[in-house]
Amino acid sequence: MKVTKDLAELCALLIDEIYGELPSRIFAVLLNRGRSSIFQLSQYTSMTPRQLRHGLAVLIQQNLLFYYVDNDTKTAAYEANPEPAYNLIRTGKILEMVESAHGAPVKDVMQSLILLGHTRVSDLKAAYEQKIKRSVEAAQLANPDTDLVGEANTAPKKPTLPVKSVAHLNSIICRLAEAELVEVVHGLTFVSPEDIQRDVEERVTRVKFPGGVKGGKGKLEFEEAVAVELCKIRRESKSLKRKLEEAGGSGAKRRKLLNGAGVNGVNGVNGVNGEHDADGDPVLDPQQVIRVNYEKCLVELRNRRLVQFAGEMIGDTTSYIYATVLRQLTKKVSRCHTDPRMDIGDMGDEDGTRQPVVTTMEILDNLPTTIDPSIGLAKVSQSRINKHSAEAVHPNPPNHNKIPFLNAGDDDEEDEEDDGSDVEMNGGHASEGESDKEVKPAVNGTAGTVRFVEPARKESRLDMLRQHLFLLAENQVPFIRQCADGQWTVDFSVVIQHLREAELDAVIEGTVGRQGLRLVRILRKKGKLDEKALPNISLMKKSDVQNKMLEMEIAGYVDIQEVPRDNSRTANRTIFLWYTDTDRCIQTLLNNTYKTATRCLQRLAMHRRKEKDVLLLTKRTDVKGREKDVMQKEYYDRFAKLLEIERKLLGHTMRMDEMVAVLRDY
Amino acid sequence: MASLASSRAGTGEDTPKVEILKDALYEEMTQHGSSERLYSQNDLISLNIIPKNDLGLLLKVVQGLCDDRLLVAATDNRTGISWRYRSRDEAKKYTSLPNNETAMVYELIDEAGADGIWSRTLKGRLKIHESVLKTCIKHLETKGYITDMKSVEHPNKKMYIKANLRPSDRATGGPWYTDSNLDEAFIVGLEKIIFNFIRMKSTHFRGGGGEGSTATKTPKKGVVVAGQGAARGRKRAATEMSSEEDGGRATPAAAAASHPPPAQQAGGPGSSRSRAGPAYLPFPAGYNYYPTAYEIAEFIHKSGITNNTTLSEDDVQQLVDILCYDGLVEPVVVGRRKGYRTTRISKQEAEDPARNKELEESGQEVPLGPPPVSNGFVEAPCGRCPVFELCEEGGPVNPSNCVYFQRWLGLD
Repeated sequence: MKVTKDLAELCALLIDEIYGELPSRIFAVLLNRGRSSIFQLSQYTSMTPRQLRHGLAVLIQQNLLFYYVDNDTKTAAYEANPEPAYNLIRTGKILEMVESAHGAPVKDVMQSLILLGHTRVSDLKAAYEQKIKRSVEAAQLANPDTDLVGEANTAPKKPTLPVKSVAHLNSIICRLAEAELVEVVHGLTFVSPEDIQRDVEERVTRVKFPGGVKGGKGKLEFEEAVAVELCKIRRESKSLKRKLEEAGGSGAKRRKLLNGAGVNGVNGVNGVNGEHDADGDPVLDPQQVIRVNYEKCLVELRNRRLVQFAGEMIGDTTSYIYATVLRQLTKKVSRCHTDPRMDIGDMGDEDGTRQPVVTTMEILDNLPTTIDPSIGLAKVSQSRINKHSAEAVHPNPPNHNKIPFLNAGDDDEEDEEDDGSDVEMNGGHASEGESDKEVKPAVNGTAGTVRFVEPARKESRLDMLRQHLFLLAENQVPFIRQCADGQWTVDFSVVIQHLREAELDAVIEGTVGRQGLRLVRILRKKGKLDEKALPNISLMKKSDVQNKMLEMEIAGYVDIQEVPRDNSRTANRTIFLWYTDTDRCIQTLLNNTYKTATRCLQRLAMHRRKEKDVLLLTKRTDVKGREKDVMQKEYYDRFAKLLEIERKLLGHTMRMDEMVAVLRDY
Repeated sequence: MASLASSRAGTGEDTPKVEILKDALYEEMTQHGSSERLYSQNDLISLNIIPKNDLGLLLKVVQGLCDDRLLVAATDNRTGISWRYRSRDEAKKYTSLPNNETAMVYELIDEAGADGIWSRTLKGRLKIHESVLKTCIKHLETKGYITDMKSVEHPNKKMYIKANLRPSDRATGGPWYTDSNLDEAFIVGLEKIIFNFIRMKSTHFRGGGGEGSTATKTPKKGVVVAGQGAARGRKRAATEMSSEEDGGRATPAAAAASHPPPAQQAGGPGSSRSRAGPAYLPFPAGYNYYPTAYEIAEFIHKSGITNNTTLSEDDVQQLVDILCYDGLVEPVVVGRRKGYRTTRISKQEAEDPARNKELEESGQEVPLGPPPVSNGFVEAPCGRCPVFELCEEGGPVNPSNCVYFQRWLGLD
């Protein structure tokens, strides 16, 4: 992750927002100065070592630091880890995603995990045990005659305590581990990737290449050996999942039990299903330390974004089907991006780095029954469909450097030939009519409508599903690809590149208008273009084009190259070529997005400063929780207004994160 | 050499004969082709006008014709020097001119043809004084031989063209220009028609009740001729049938759509729009009837929207490309046929004439297609802030005193 000034500022603000000023200041210094020891830190920050230790403890608890202990001097050096710091902004989205996918109790556990940073399983259990005990006591206090009244009284208590028992918690953790949403913290978690890489390289050289790495082949072998070692370390964090898998207890079985527990929970009979669950689940090692696995969360979030994208491009029903495809495909995908250092060749196999494939039947099996694939698509008679083209199989992924929109130039040649056939097709309206006649009698018969409906009804769910899949494959954004007959895969990098461009286009359209977008897209397709050619292609006035191009050059979307035709270099003897660099635009936009999020948070801080007296008042224990009743109206209005602003600004920060995710992480 | 000398000696006595031969040669040349055709020396000899293939005589005859402005000499890299004839009317214009300068000016303008010629080019080529050139041009203009013109490529240059010629497409810019101005209203109007045509042909409109068949109409529907109309009529029959069927199912479908687990994220605005209303549905993959550029051109031609300009397929292709660049339509290649369809089908909204009228009256342009994609960055004050680069906490422009934020948060 490249840390720019704006990102550093944003990370510090986020830490400040959640963990307070002390860790935030230390983090900012670490980001700016790089790896430092406590002594250096105290110099930079003019804080006492005691204060620093407090701050560092918080940062480590929240996984925000790497540290490195030098074996010779026995001193520790600390380094900021910007990724989890940035991920703080994503907390809400991840929790929402977990809740919609796994339910409220799981979300509750996830929330605790995020709050704690990383924790031992036993500690988590103890915390929940206490919480459950307390609420049971409270419930008993509130209604001593629970047994008499029964369900009616326990029902309102439910939302306060989503996790029913320790056994329930146990199964939830197992479930999270299986979904890879939780990972194990191990010895090397807090060592920066660079350090790990260096250590591994050193070790490999010592053990396997004592004479040093020689020649091209030797280098390759060396890299492979390093990759194997690195993969081993990376796999360490998934040890819990593997252990669970080894312990038997298939996922499906446990899930069934968990659902059963949920149902029982509604009935309010806690004790019974607690025992029940304990049978089904392997007991977790209480000493195991776990934390949230953001990488996997990102994969899930990416799925959701892609579904949204498909919904926008094609339609809702199709997007639900796409969601099923993605869910099946990404079950074994641990991260959005492959690591060039580790995933060499087939190395990443176990992690599912090799492109996963899903069959049509699998999709059908997992398609929720609430989804009706027969809607969302127009019905057309078979004679109007070119089956051969629709169901084409593309065994190879499209070229990464070329996006279909860009290489339309290649198609053009084909098209010219095409036009001939088009003319024929259109000229020969008779033949079209004929093919329709074959259909017509059936349709226009007395019971026309009924007969027309019938074949549609007969079309099986599978056929309808296939229709949607083909539609997804045919789209200009290649959402899925049929890599073999009946087998589907998704080229994530290609789709994401489209998504990024769509996001960039939205910004361009929003800032310089549709005509600006038109010009940029012309340049994207044609490459470098002479100033004089632009008005002709874009069908715009010359002066309009010039003004727009200038505006966009200032905004950084396009750039100009001057090519002098002779040595005099006068303006009229120079060719001016416009071009656009999409990758650079995306990088700039990303940085601007960081900056915008930062500004939102800064603005929020300003509003809080302004209403400091109100906020102080609300912090009082006798006011907290019942502000509306206790506070004077004038004060309460100010408080409500502040809350409103806070909601707006934080909500907006979240939307900024959505863009960052698209532009950087997916 | 000798023969040449001898013929020159006998100039005086041969003059009447040369006059006759001149007329004969000229007539023969006009019979053999248009004024564009180039005649080389051999061609002229083989016209069999000059007796005994006498080159000397030919020289004299040709010289005479050139003096009368009836022949124009030209050089060609392959055949060497050659001539083409000029009509007698044209030649008379030349001979009626008062002096050589004017004739030369007229000649250059004549040569430039339909593209016209820039006055500074004239000056440069002829190396004559500005005032002389001016009088020449003035004389020619008053005579009605030349007019000034405007070229689209060089709108600021003073150009001249022969009065009886129409400026070429290059100079006028083709069908997109009216009076050498880009006719934006025309382009926008055509774009709209093409977009509606593509939308109608490439999506299936599912409306509430009988509204479906009316809402897909393009504004110019009335002018559609029979062939097209018949095709549409057939199609509409199918549309209505399936829309009835959909209508019956609409409620459970909508109910199912609002519930499934991957319910749409509440992130984007308007994503919660109910699906009960009319909607556009995509055709299945491999649909063979997405309109091609040729079909669109045909539609426009038959509808007679562009009654005084004819649009070629290339012109229409240019417009369709613009729509592609605007992100409103996209090409779909099915088999070997490249058709077009609308993008973002699910976001398409049915035409709302009332709203469009309202917008037009208030002087705003009615945007084509679905509302543009928007994201958080554009909506935040920062995304459109003119001083975004300068903004910094502690600086003169900073988030704390930002007026845009103030307005955006509704605190004004």
